[in-house]
Amino acid sequence: MSDTTTHKAGAKPPGLLTNLLELPANVWNSVFRNRLPEDDLGRSSTSFTNFFLHIHPVKVHQNTLRPLYTLGLGLMSFFLFFVLVVTGVLLMFYYVPSTTQAYDRMLDLRGSVAFGTFLRNMHRWSAHGMVAMVFLHMCRVFLTGSYKKPREFNWVIGVVLLLVTLGLSFTGYLLPWDQLAFWAITVGTSIAGYAPLVGQQMKFLLLGDTTVGQEALLRFYVLHVAVLPVVATLLIAIHFWRIRKDGGLSRPDDAAPITAAAPAALSVRAVPLAKDKVFGLQGFVRSTTAKFGNVPDRTVFTWPNLLIAELFVFVLILAVILVLALAFNAPLEQPVNVMHPPNPAKAPWYFLGLQEMVSYSAFWGGIGVPTVFVLLLLAAPYLDRKPGGVGVWFARERFLANTLFVTIVVLNIVFMIIGTFFRGPNWEFVSPWR
Amino acid sequence: MAMATKAAARTEAGGAMSRRKLLGWLSGVSLFGSAVLSAFSNFVFIKPRATYGQPQRFSIGKPEEFPSGARIAMEQKRVCVVREGNKVAAISTTCTHLGCIVGLSDTGFACPCHGSRFDTDGTVTGGPAPKPLPWFKVSLAPNGELEIDKDTQVEPGSYFTV
Repeated sequence: MSDTTTHKAGAKPPGLLTNLLELPANVWNSVFRNRLPEDDLGRSSTSFTNFFLHIHPVKVHQNTLRPLYTLGLGLMSFFLFFVLVVTGVLLMFYYVPSTTQAYDRMLDLRGSVAFGTFLRNMHRWSAHGMVAMVFLHMCRVFLTGSYKKPREFNWVIGVVLLLVTLGLSFTGYLLPWDQLAFWAITVGTSIAGYAPLVGQQMKFLLLGDTTVGQEALLRFYVLHVAVLPVVATLLIAIHFWRIRKDGGLSRPDDAAPITAAAPAALSVRAVPLAKDKVFGLQGFVRSTTAKFGNVPDRTVFTWPNLLIAELFVFVLILAVILVLALAFNAPLEQPVNVMHPPNPAKAPWYFLGLQEMVSYSAFWGGIGVPTVFVLLLLAAPYLDRKPGGVGVWFARERFLANTLFVTIVVLNIVFMIIGTFFRGPNWEFVSPWR
Repeated sequence: MAMATKAAARTEAGGAMSRRKLLGWLSGVSLFGSAVLSAFSNFVFIKPRATYGQPQRFSIGKPEEFPSGARIAMEQKRVCVVREGNKVAAISTTCTHLGCIVGLSDTGFACPCHGSRFDTDGTVTGGPAPKPLPWFKVSLAPNGELEIDKDTQVEPGSYFTV
């Protein structure tokens, strides 16, 4: 492992020339503690001596790498968040959260900023994509029973992350300050106003005024670029950390045990890392088995197996977003005209299910049903504590829970589709094919 | 019985121990209380005392500017001034459904966003609106102009007599 020649005490230190000649190699070696790994020890070291890689365990279970198990949805959500942070920070260089300037800045992005339209498109489509991916990721986790013990609290964090994602998308929706933005937020915050007792107060706090105006624009901007991204980053970090502390991704019980018969005598290869040094066990990861030496199991090394898979998902996401951003422009309607609401005025698509329900009953559609739904989601792992059916899609023993969940999700999607495509002027039923 | 056990436990723990416990509790409660108060003060901070947009209380002009039978919608102020004889009233033009601006129609008010309809008094006659349009307090300011206070709602049908 040690790749520099050790100099005996009292020996002459290397000369300046030698130092200069070795400089590039020494700088490289001081940054990266390992060469590209060739053996298992190297693969382990690469994972846990690199800040970015040590988020991963050294080895992961094969089940984690099955594309059809996770569908990569959580990773996709994270990478979209990453794209959103990068494009968002770039857009901040040109945006001003002022009712008199915001719309002009949008036109500037289109007209005079290099890659302005392209970056805005990327940001817009990634935002929609992240809402969708986080939602689908939640569906995956539920339908594979992955919220069960010991992952209950990580599920709760996930539900909160879904709400934060919706908050991020909603606050960003107002910033272009066009007709679409203004009326979507007017309608959306009015839905929040239906909450009993605190509804109007909440709306006032959010808007900083009784109607959507300069105060609301500034507040939404601060929430969008500072408060919510920080909250999201923190929660994502905890979410990832807990995956490891909970023993990796969920998997069926029968995927855990050792497959091959253990050899009669385990051959333990201990490599002395340094003489005169005592090594202690630094941490524990909960597991049903204890392992010494090379016991055959179903785990593979993170380097390169998991990292290649992650790279693939990242490239895929980036490619899709780039193509979307090249092919479709983010909408920009007329500048805000407070006097002339569009007919119909629609909330962002992910709230159109709510708006559709609000047209039947203001309180139940806007507040009652969504609150019950969120509370049910948060409580799910504490209400359903039967241990079986973890790690497989649509497990038989989870038929009831899965059916309930799918019913609620499908109903929500149906309302969303009705609200998006089948509602015309005066919120009357229209056919999209007409 | 339970009391006796408790008392016994207390004696057993000894005076010094319970003092330590009490102080621990007090410190914990005061720390937690300070945290809650600080969190609450944030809400006090972000709740604006003055709004910079449309004032909630504004004058609309002399009563003579509103002839009898007038129904004048002031779109910027989001209010409709109604005068019948010497009675004046101000009805909100913000739709109670989802906050769009309702327009004047032959039968009263109509919302362009989702089709809510109201009669001339603001009572819901159709569409998704859950509540009638509120009426605001009208008064006569010392300078002889009519003043509307959107922070104070009055019963529908209660006019101000000039």
